[in-house]
Amino acid sequence: MKTVREIMEPVTTWLLPTDTLAEAVRKMRTTLRKPPNVYGVKGMVVVDTQGTLVGIVSVKDILRAIMPSYMELAEVGGMTWPGMFEEMAQRVKDKPVSEIMHGSPVYVSPDATLMECAELIVKKNLWRLPVLEDEKLIGIVYARDLHYAIATELFGET
Amino acid sequence: MIQETMAASETGVAMNSTFWTATAVFLGVYALIVTEKVHKTIVALLGAGLMLVLKILDQHEAFHLEEFGVDWNVIFLLISMMTIINLMRPTGLFEYIAIRSAKLGRGEPMRIIVIFSLVTAVLSALLDNVTTVLLIAPVTLFIADALEVDAVPFLIAEALASNVGGTATLIGDPPNIMIASKASLDFMAFIYHLAPAIVVIMVIFLLLLKVLFGKKLVAREDRKQRVLEMDEHEAIKDPVMVKKSLFVLAFVMVGFVLHGMLHFEPATVALFGAGILLFLSGTHEPHHILAEVEWPTIFFFMGLFIIVGGVVKVGLIKWMSIKMLAITQGNMFETSMLLMWFSAFASAFVDNIPYVATMNPLVVDMAHQLWPNLQGLQLLHAPALMPVWWSLALGSCLGGNGTAIGASANVIVVGMSERAGQRISFMKFFAYGMPVMILTVLLATVYVWLRYYVLKI
Repeated sequence: MKTVREIMEPVTTWLLPTDTLAEAVRKMRTTLRKPPNVYGVKGMVVVDTQGTLVGIVSVKDILRAIMPSYMELAEVGGMTWPGMFEEMAQRVKDKPVSEIMHGSPVYVSPDATLMECAELIVKKNLWRLPVLEDEKLIGIVYARDLHYAIATELFGET
Repeated sequence: MIQETMAASETGVAMNSTFWTATAVFLGVYALIVTEKVHKTIVALLGAGLMLVLKILDQHEAFHLEEFGVDWNVIFLLISMMTIINLMRPTGLFEYIAIRSAKLGRGEPMRIIVIFSLVTAVLSALLDNVTTVLLIAPVTLFIADALEVDAVPFLIAEALASNVGGTATLIGDPPNIMIASKASLDFMAFIYHLAPAIVVIMVIFLLLLKVLFGKKLVAREDRKQRVLEMDEHEAIKDPVMVKKSLFVLAFVMVGFVLHGMLHFEPATVALFGAGILLFLSGTHEPHHILAEVEWPTIFFFMGLFIIVGGVVKVGLIKWMSIKMLAITQGNMFETSMLLMWFSAFASAFVDNIPYVATMNPLVVDMAHQLWPNLQGLQLLHAPALMPVWWSLALGSCLGGNGTAIGASANVIVVGMSERAGQRISFMKFFAYGMPVMILTVLLATVYVWLRYYVLKI
């Protein structure tokens, strides 16, 4: 039986709330994901200069920032003009991360059970859970870590 | 004690402790609504609860008596119309209409602003204003993006147009719904008495748009092309449901036109329409559609009816009506004018729903003072009283244009614009809204004077 502390991964990269959307995209594109050693991550934690976790940004948050707010209220997607996507990306590139991130992200303690993590990931439709101990960010549990734990249990995969 | 007796003998209102308690609750509620420190629905429900707990009203009066309690006519008319709209919204019909309108304007911003304003006004007359701007404003922002022009003039014009258009019919704006129920006025009466004024006002408003925004709005040719290339048919998500809902909407409109003749209340017509459309939609999950009814607004109405019922019962409203008659000395033309202009400025700064909820019984009380021998419809429809009702409707609906907080439609447009990164400040809205309000109320003044006091038709 494992706990979060055993399966979590260390935090090696993060965004600052003052980073721009463009910088966030660049950092996410150039961060090495291991395994399987390819560049590009689908999300990143946002940490302020005191090292406190203040938010989380995923690729979807970036897409949401690019999509104009009125598109959430009216279904005009089928009528958009060619090049609108690129135009909107240019328009929001200087927005600070603090405006596009998910503030107060869902987190777990290092002593949480894997079942608790699974529940949070499923119910809240997440891919990663920051791990906080005494309000300090000490790691991240990814959905893939839980998947790996299942494989270990069922097939003894290491 | 001596003072109390004196006050009572002067106006016939007993200014005892119940009177002052009810007045304090009423004023407290108004103050909290104006300051917006607490959500208005919470204030209204709390105030209504206080009126009951303090035994100013008993529960039977609050829930079952039209004179002191909830006006279920208004409540069911609102709920039913909201349900019909909620079923229509996902079909894409409104997006279709908006894109179609933009193409009709050949991508020319000034033409589009006029057409959008006209469409908004017509839709606001048939649906409620909030729904209309909720449907039209997002598409407006989209079109403005495509044209690379400032969306703010479009949005302000639409908010103003929705308040003007909504004034034309019984169902167009909440004040009219409330006045219709209180005064037992039917749909055709509103069309006959208010729509002509609104047609004139709308024409002048559209001409004014050119003066206000004409110079600012220029789009590049290739940007206009983007709009012309949009395929509005893409917007229609559910063609079968479009047909069903247009059928029901037409049925409901015919029902409204005939309700007076057939002796049905408007709420009956709307409720039946909502029932039919829910049935035709084939949905097995009505809770989704019903959950989208604007319950906070509905409960706001319910709370206010009870609060106002409390101050009606203790005589505050009667006292106010006596004071108002003292000002105009029973001259009905002066009363109409005073009511129209006071309503306009009051509605520009205070929510016009609580305002009209208060003024309705005041007008009835005033009529009681003037014609103590008349009862029921004879009193409510006394020929000299009719222009007063229309003045109240015109003033409180058109007054909503005065400021960014004057009408719910304005609040929604400002909020949506801010989310899209284009802030409309209070002063910016005021700079367009207040002159438009004064001009339109001026036109309404001329209309009421000419029609009811000169031509007498």
